Amino acid sequence: MTAFTAWQVWGRFVVNDSPSWTEPASVLMMGWFILLGSAVGVREGYHLGFDILVVVLPETPRRVLVTISDIAVTGFGGAMAWYGYQLAAGTWNNVSPALKIPVGISYTPLIVGGVLIVLFSLERILRRLAGLPEPHLEADPADSVA
Amino acid sequence: QEVVLRSADTHPDGYPTVEAVKFMSDVLKKETDGRISIQVFDSHQLGEEKETIEQTKFGVIDLNRVNFAPMNGIVPATIVPCMPYIFTSKENMRSVMDGPIGEDILKAFEPAGYVGLAVYDSGARSFYNSKHPIKTLEDLKGLKFRVIQSDLFVDMVNALGANATPMAYGEVYSGLQTGLIDGAENNWPSYESSKHFEVAKYYSLDQHSQCPEVLMMSKVSWDKLSPEDQTAVRDAAKQSVTKMRELWDAQEEKSRKIVEAAGVEINEVDPAPFVKAMDPIYEKYADTPELKDLVKRIRDTQK
Amino acid sequence: MALTILFGSFVLLLLIGTPIAFCLGIASFLTVAYLGIPPLIVFQQMNAGISVFALMAIPFFIYAGDLMVRGDIAARLVALAASLVGHFRGGLGQVNIAASTLFGGISGSAVADASAIGGLMIPQMRQRGYDVDYAVNITVTSSIIALMIPPSHNMIIYSISGGGQISIADLFTAGILPGFLLAMGLAAAAWYVANKRGYPITAFEGWGNIGRRALGAIPGIILIGIIFGGVRSGVFTATESSCIAIVYALLITLFVYKSMGWTDFVAATLGAVRTTAMVLLIIGAAAAFGWLLAYLRVPAQMIDFMQSMTDSPLVIFLLLNVLLLFLGTFMDMSPLIIITTPIFLPVVKAFGMDPVHFGVILVLNLGIGLCTPPVGAVLFVGCAVARIRVAEAIKTIWPFYFAAFVVLMLVTYVPAISLWLPSVFK
Ligand code: NA
Ligand code: NA
Repeated sequence: MTAFTAWQVWGRFVVNDSPSWTEPASVLMMGWFILLGSAVGVREGYHLGFDILVVVLPETPRRVLVTISDIAVTGFGGAMAWYGYQLAAGTWNNVSPALKIPVGISYTPLIVGGVLIVLFSLERILRRLAGLPEPHLEADPADSVA
Repeated sequence: QEVVLRSADTHPDGYPTVEAVKFMSDVLKKETDGRISIQVFDSHQLGEEKETIEQTKFGVIDLNRVNFAPMNGIVPATIVPCMPYIFTSKENMRSVMDGPIGEDILKAFEPAGYVGLAVYDSGARSFYNSKHPIKTLEDLKGLKFRVIQSDLFVDMVNALGANATPMAYGEVYSGLQTGLIDGAENNWPSYESSKHFEVAKYYSLDQHSQCPEVLMMSKVSWDKLSPEDQTAVRDAAKQSVTKMRELWDAQEEKSRKIVEAAGVEINEVDPAPFVKAMDPIYEKYADTPELKDLVKRIRDTQK
Repeated sequence: MALTILFGSFVLLLLIGTPIAFCLGIASFLTVAYLGIPPLIVFQQMNAGISVFALMAIPFFIYAGDLMVRGDIAARLVALAASLVGHFRGGLGQVNIAASTLFGGISGSAVADASAIGGLMIPQMRQRGYDVDYAVNITVTSSIIALMIPPSHNMIIYSISGGGQISIADLFTAGILPGFLLAMGLAAAAWYVANKRGYPITAFEGWGNIGRRALGAIPGIILIGIIFGGVRSGVFTATESSCIAIVYALLITLFVYKSMGWTDFVAATLGAVRTTAMVLLIIGAAAAFGWLLAYLRVPAQMIDFMQSMTDSPLVIFLLLNVLLLFLGTFMDMSPLIIITTPIFLPVVKAFGMDPVHFGVILVLNLGIGLCTPPVGAVLFVGCAVARIRVAEAIKTIWPFYFAAFVVLMLVTYVPAISLWLPSVFK
């Protein structure tokens, strides 16, 4: 939230003038936004998906399928963190021309986002096993985008 | 066993660098009885230069044709051939890069995870504008030039007394038309293909930048080849340089004729005062003893 | 084999309810592992896919649209539209369409449009004796207009998916005439149904009222001018003008209309953050998917295949449209643009179609898909606002589908509808 406002200020900066660092800096911030927002999206279940089939199935097979899906997401989050680390480490010595910082920094959101995705999807699985209510399967359609 | 090397290029099919790598593939096939060939992914199909450079390092792709400029932050030695007015002519650039200096720069790729195979032309960039011919530094005063998003280019244009405006390539034509900028800078083929000559008809050949292209291989992929195959790849790459230059010269000639036929006013420039104005730029960018030494060695070839 | 893994695992995951972004990412990951390429490429491309400055325009436009829904800008534009066309046959139906045309110009999002105009118009129409399904049908289909009239973040997504070489300014301009054509087509359908069902006519309000309403809507109209004029004249980039749109919308709603409270502001901001993360993660994952398609030479094979089938561009364009309509029934718009552009753009180019023209077709075609079950965000919103079942709305929507399809065919086969306006502005 606060970050979003800050982001807007970046935008205003870009409008006023274009020093060569504002673009890459805002892009870097956007990376953090998207990956953290995506991890939270996993937790709250607001990602866009095709849940027609899942919704019409009876309770038990539905829970099995959704759990398989959550396991796949967990694995992907883990891979994201691990390979994000490899990318960051492998490009740490490259200097970004505009910001004069290591190129590898741009891959750090992958690591943090990946770890959070693992944690949040494990949470989903555990909650389901414990019989707790699920975060809503579908997002409020008014919040989704065309 | 058959090996298909995957090679990336940002230029479209038919562009001299793309054709040169295809030619290299033909040579390789002949030398290795069809065992090794190259598949070229043109038109940045596999990503922008920055991305393919990383892919090459990690061995996702095998070969990559990029400009020296995006390698500046990875292989410092590549800064020197990109310095303004470092070469006095196309012939000077080619002989330097063919000789021991070029060899040393290509060798500097290895610690970063790449094997430098060949250096291609990227053409000589010169200024064009809509106001008047540029012959002296005085003529540059107050003119607004579009430059690529690069500190080196911004500093260079400002040091020459003009105003640098970084801008996307696609916006330059309308920028020239509406007077948002007075000029830009590029080589013959780009000046022609972008149609900028229609709205900026003074082309002044100061040849401020000849930052060349490089064909490099992933160290990961390179180490998988036998020593004989490595030699075959190197030789084929060297042969492709001749092919590339042939194609490039033809392209330049063709573009030049089109532009001349359109009534563009072309003038030569005595670069001496321009070179003098670059002293602070060299101080700032060629700032280590290694880079200063490379600069000196190139200057020595021009005496 | 690699392609089977790529598409097979994608479809399988999609069916078990995995979010689209993860379907794309996991399918790419499995394929890369099968091919023996270092898997980090998937994440490099994901990162590259979201590290594009122009992408920032998308959340900005979404945010601006959201602010306008929650502020009063949208309502005033609707009021203006009501006074302009309310006295024609089918009265409020026509108002609904006109409102989408005016408001769609600034919201840029069909979903924002459907929720804003649906929220205003559907209760009004129900109150004045219109059937609810009719109100929903119109609201849903006319919000496709928002996709066509600038700004349209889907056009930006298309430009980026096409390699970033296609002019966003040209795309924006190219969408205008097709947008108006669609408005006319839907108006005709609305008139036809209204006549058949015998809906009432409202009296003409008089020019004085129109003038007063136009005055009230001026801030909204200025905003359209800023966005369109700014991008077109090259003074701002799309990203910059989208940022200005937010600041402007905030100032107007907070200080001129004084229509938005702190809660609304927070809700709009949070909504924008969620949508942004959701859409852009799909864009990132699709970049990895698209990289693999290029690596496996799918577009090139596609062109060969198409050329071996027929050499008539007319047939190819029809086939593409049918295929896109089919895909559009199952998937949402932005992921489809991102996935199909790298495959189809080379094909249509090989058959001589202008990339700007194809962008317009793609957005219009997939926009229709937003209004069709089983996956249609706009249809869902329309039904949710009216509290009716999707099946009820679908039963009577056919005249509107038909109108939209006719416009789609016209836009496909008459390139000038899309390309004439950009050529005038050049
Ligand atoms: Na719009
Ligand atoms: Na649909």
